[in-house]
Amino acid sequence: MRRELHAEWTKLRTVPGPGLLLLGVVVATVAVSGVAAGVMDCAAAGCGLDAVRVSLFGVQAGQALVALLAVAVVCGEYGTGMVATTLAAMPRRTVTLAAKATLVTGLTLGAGVPAVLGSLLAGRLLLPGGGFTPEHGYPPLSLADAATLRAAAGSVLYLGLVALLATGVAVAVRDQVAACGAVLGLLHLFPIVVLMVRDEDLQRILWQLSPVNAGLAVQATTDLASMPVGPWAGLGVVACWAAAALVGGGLLLRLRDA
Amino acid sequence: MEATIEVSGLRKRYGRTTALDGMTFRVRPGRVTGFVGPNGAGKSTTMRVVLGLDAPDEGHALVGGRPYRSLRRPLTHVGALLDVGALQPGRSGRDHLLWLAHSQGLGARRVDELLDLVGLAPAARRRAGGYSLGMRGRLGIAAALLGDPPVLMLDEPFNGLDPEGIVWIRGFLRSLAAEGRAVLVSSHLMSELQDTAGHLVVAGRGRVVADVGVDELIATASRARVTVRTAASPEAARALAGAGATVTVGERDTLVVSGPPAEDVVRLLGACGVPFSEVSAYRATLEEAYLDLTGGFSGVVR
Repeated sequence: MRRELHAEWTKLRTVPGPGLLLLGVVVATVAVSGVAAGVMDCAAAGCGLDAVRVSLFGVQAGQALVALLAVAVVCGEYGTGMVATTLAAMPRRTVTLAAKATLVTGLTLGAGVPAVLGSLLAGRLLLPGGGFTPEHGYPPLSLADAATLRAAAGSVLYLGLVALLATGVAVAVRDQVAACGAVLGLLHLFPIVVLMVRDEDLQRILWQLSPVNAGLAVQATTDLASMPVGPWAGLGVVACWAAAALVGGGLLLRLRDA
Repeated sequence: MEATIEVSGLRKRYGRTTALDGMTFRVRPGRVTGFVGPNGAGKSTTMRVVLGLDAPDEGHALVGGRPYRSLRRPLTHVGALLDVGALQPGRSGRDHLLWLAHSQGLGARRVDELLDLVGLAPAARRRAGGYSLGMRGRLGIAAALLGDPPVLMLDEPFNGLDPEGIVWIRGFLRSLAAEGRAVLVSSHLMSELQDTAGHLVVAGRGRVVADVGVDELIATASRARVTVRTAASPEAARALAGAGATVTVGERDTLVVSGPPAEDVVRLLGACGVPFSEVSAYRATLEEAYLDLTGGFSGVVR
């Protein structure tokens, strides 16, 4: 896989798109987190808000750019027809897909760390202004707190899993616009459907299946018992989605004509 | 590795369309093999099957005796140019070759060698999206040669090239074949392969309709005809026709005569007092020979 990784890395670093999108992941995540931390109010003790979750809200914006990155890296080649050159040069298709997925995910994790740390810092600075003060039961955000650390690390992993999921879907769908639609639809429509469903049992099941709802459970630091899935189990749900997408995409890549 | 391409009994359908219908031929080293036929004859599909991009429904294709997808560093076995437009426009020509080189375990030095070889060095660091068709063609040839492969396969490399580029590629292909490589070049225009191809594989409706040497083909198509160059063509035509020859009017001041051998034509024109400046054996062009050959196969020439 060494040659495949080297070639795919050279491809990634010789066009401006991936670098800009990675920068976009950091900027969008921190900016949206900052806005969320700035507008949320906790007027009195026991307001019931999860300060960590509020300050990591931007991950939901960052994930869209992660999806765009993965889709651009995969589908950009289909749009130009360069995929024929790629598969002629690297005929072991599964290995080539693995190399692509490894790099996109690695870069996403690399961008996810500053994105999440920046978000927490913004929260630490901005939240006290909205009443998230020690007097109301909110000590300043700190990674020394085990739950906060888990939420932060989990958010980074979540972004990495979204990258894998999007890579798999993009390989299966091939068309850039359709792949964007499929990934963003999966990520953003599920939570809306969950909100619209009346039946509580069905709602709970959909919540558990939704990659965003279940996946972002890893950000929760309060009220864990009332959530349909636990933090790590939720991340496991996203991992299952990512694995299914990659296996499906990989099989299609192997079986279909290029 | 033996420098050959072997295509055997390939069949492939796309929905209701039959793209390949028993395509079988062999490309040998040391000569340029032209792969000709109208658009839709199955030339590109055959090449995609050889490269392992498309899977055939039946039959197989081997490169140097091995299936392409079993090759670990395939570009060192086969160099291919499929579509000169298949580039990501934001990447420079040099970077395009660089990732290809890295995929084969080759380095930047080989890339720069090839950029010099194809004359693309001055534009190498510019975005490939801004390249002319001719420059893309040169970049495609450089990519095909990157691994110094014994087998080359080029799909319509002349498309969109200016006359200078066409002459360049022809010379290039001849010298690659002279080095002992097997070179397969597809084209839907025979005139492009004139003086380049030594052998022809003619495809029509997904199979091979002829697999012949170019010299043999042209000799057959020329059919011992004689060209007469004369300023007095009406008189000459009358005299020759009177003696039982079939005469057709050729380009400027020439007649193409079939029937009597050249000696008889000279004697006949002399006896009738018709002046002429040249009498020579007629040599068909490759295009004529091709039309002559495919005329008998309905549907080959659309």
